[in-house]
Parts: sequence; C-alpha cells; structure tokens
Amino acid sequence: MDRLTKTFLAVIGVLIILSPIGILLVWNYGDAWGEWDPSDLAGQVHEKLTGMEKLSSAWTHALLPDYNIPGWEDKFHASIGYIISAVVGVALVFGAYYVLIKVVGASR
Amino acid sequence: MHIPDGYLGPYTCIFFYILMIPFWYKGVRWLKNLHPKQVPLLGVLTAFSFLVMMYNLPVPDGTTAHIVGGTIIAILIGPWAATVSISIVLLIQALFFGDGGITTYAANSFNMAVVLPFVGYYTYRVLRKKLSDVAAAGIGAYVGLVTAAVVAGFEFGLQPYIQPGYCPYTFWVSVPAMAFAHLVTAGPAAAVVTATVLWYVRKSRPELFDMGEAEAVRG
Repeated sequence: MDRLTKTFLAVIGVLIILSPIGILLVWNYGDAWGEWDPSDLAGQVHEKLTGMEKLSSAWTHALLPDYNIPGWEDKFHASIGYIISAVVGVALVFGAYYVLIKVVGASR
Repeated sequence: MHIPDGYLGPYTCIFFYILMIPFWYKGVRWLKNLHPKQVPLLGVLTAFSFLVMMYNLPVPDGTTAHIVGGTIIAILIGPWAATVSISIVLLIQALFFGDGGITTYAANSFNMAVVLPFVGYYTYRVLRKKLSDVAAAGIGAYVGLVTAAVVAGFEFGLQPYIQPGYCPYTFWVSVPAMAFAHLVTAGPAAAVVTATVLWYVRKSRPELFDMGEAEAVRG
C-alpha cells in the first residue's frame, strides 16, 4: 500500500479516537443553523409548519441517530457512542466506496 | 450545512434530484480515470471527509459548523472525484446517522459535493499563479466552504417563497446566518486543515500531487 495512504489511515485512526472533541467542544451549544428539531422550530416561530412535520419523518430508520446510541445522554456515554459511530461510519464509507469502484471498474 | 428532511418542500427537493443526475453521472464515469495508485487514496480521503464533518466547531452565536474536506479531494484527485466521494459520505450520514435527509440528499449533494469542491478547486487554480500552492489551497478551501454555505442559505431562504410550511426563514435571515458560521469558524478551520494536508503531500509526495494536477479535469 502507498505510503501516503498509510499515513492517512493513521490520521483516520487518530481522528476516530479524538472524535468526542466534536461534541464536547460544543456541549452547551445549540444545533447548527437550520438543523433544529421541527417541533422546537414550530414553537420558536409560533407557526404550524405542516409540510415540515410531514416530510421530517421521511426517514426514521437511522441506526445511530445523531451519531449516538439512543439514550446515551451524558458526556461519557455520548463520547463512547460518538466513537462507535465514527468506526461504523468509516466502515460503511469504505464499504460503499469499494462497491462503487468494483461496479465502475467492471464496466471498463 | 446538512439540510434536514422537512426544511425543503417537495418541488425544491425534486428540482435538486433532477439537477444532480448529470453531476452524479459524470462523476461516477470520471472514476474510470483514476490511476490504480489513486484508488486507495481516494478511499481514505472519503473516510477522512466523513470524520472531519464529525468535528463540530463552536460558532460565537451559539450554533456549530464543521468543515467538509472537499477541496482537499478536489486538489489531490480532482473535483469530479470529490463530487462522488462527498456524495457517498452524505448518503451514509443521511441513512445511518439521520444527519441531513433523504428528501434533501440531492440539495445537500449539490452544496457540499458540487459547489464546494468546484469553487474550492478553481479558486486554488487561479490563486496558485500568484501564491504558493499551499496558500492557494487554504484560501480555495475557505472560499469553497463559505460559498457552499451561502448557497445552502439561499435554498433555506427561498423555500418560504416557493412553498410555505417548510423552512420558515427567508434568505434575509438564513444567508447571513449561514455565511457568518462559515466565515468565522469553519472557513478558517478548512483553510488550516487543507493547507496542512497539501503542505504535507507536496513535501512527501510531489509526484502524486502533480498526477492529481494532470488528471483532475480530464474526461
């Protein structure tokens, strides 16, 4: 394997382990702009957002919603949940990429 | 910058799915141009992009923002490669982590997988005539990320005019909010990370850097 690819793999390992920084640094912060829970938002603007209510539940099968194990709310558990999500996410990304490369390569 | 399900109405979502078809088609076909050496590299860069998006950074107004890593891929491999790999990341995020959405997937892909890498890449190409590669890459990443955020802001903000009942804020509110978060926090972070990665690759593997250069827009 290429040396640079190996370096990036090491960086990926470090980023997975340190990933809880990505929630701990912003623990008391709100959501990113435009990524609020629909019911919170409806209360905020005092408006019934009927379309949003319907479409917001278009997909409810997320395995690890918000990059966490549901119910792991405290900082420690959320951090573990975040690391698990990072590992699962990286594995899924590699898997999807591999499949795509195989499919595209086969049609060469 | 991940627009969740419910913020864009059906017409807006369908519009972006139709708009994205040629970009996805061209991007996937472009993968055939990958040099065998670049195949694993693009794989790790795709995973790198997934991970950097998990690093939420604090914005002074109490919200958060993150970088994407799209300009790094655009410079090292090519902007079409970035379109494909960021689209993969966005799909995994939407399906498995509820980040972004299924109805808004194409809009999010347009912002982060098309606008961001192409603006970042061409900014870099223009600036590197005057500046060092590393500085041009950093500024390119900054401009690419902020532009993508502003485009996302316009999508949020035009929605009330197209079909009410979805995102309630007009672009007078959404565009400044999206621009601010990325101008002050995520933009500088993207510049530093991109410049650092490019500096390292330039130093350790100049030939690979030049390969990305030659192949980037071919096909």
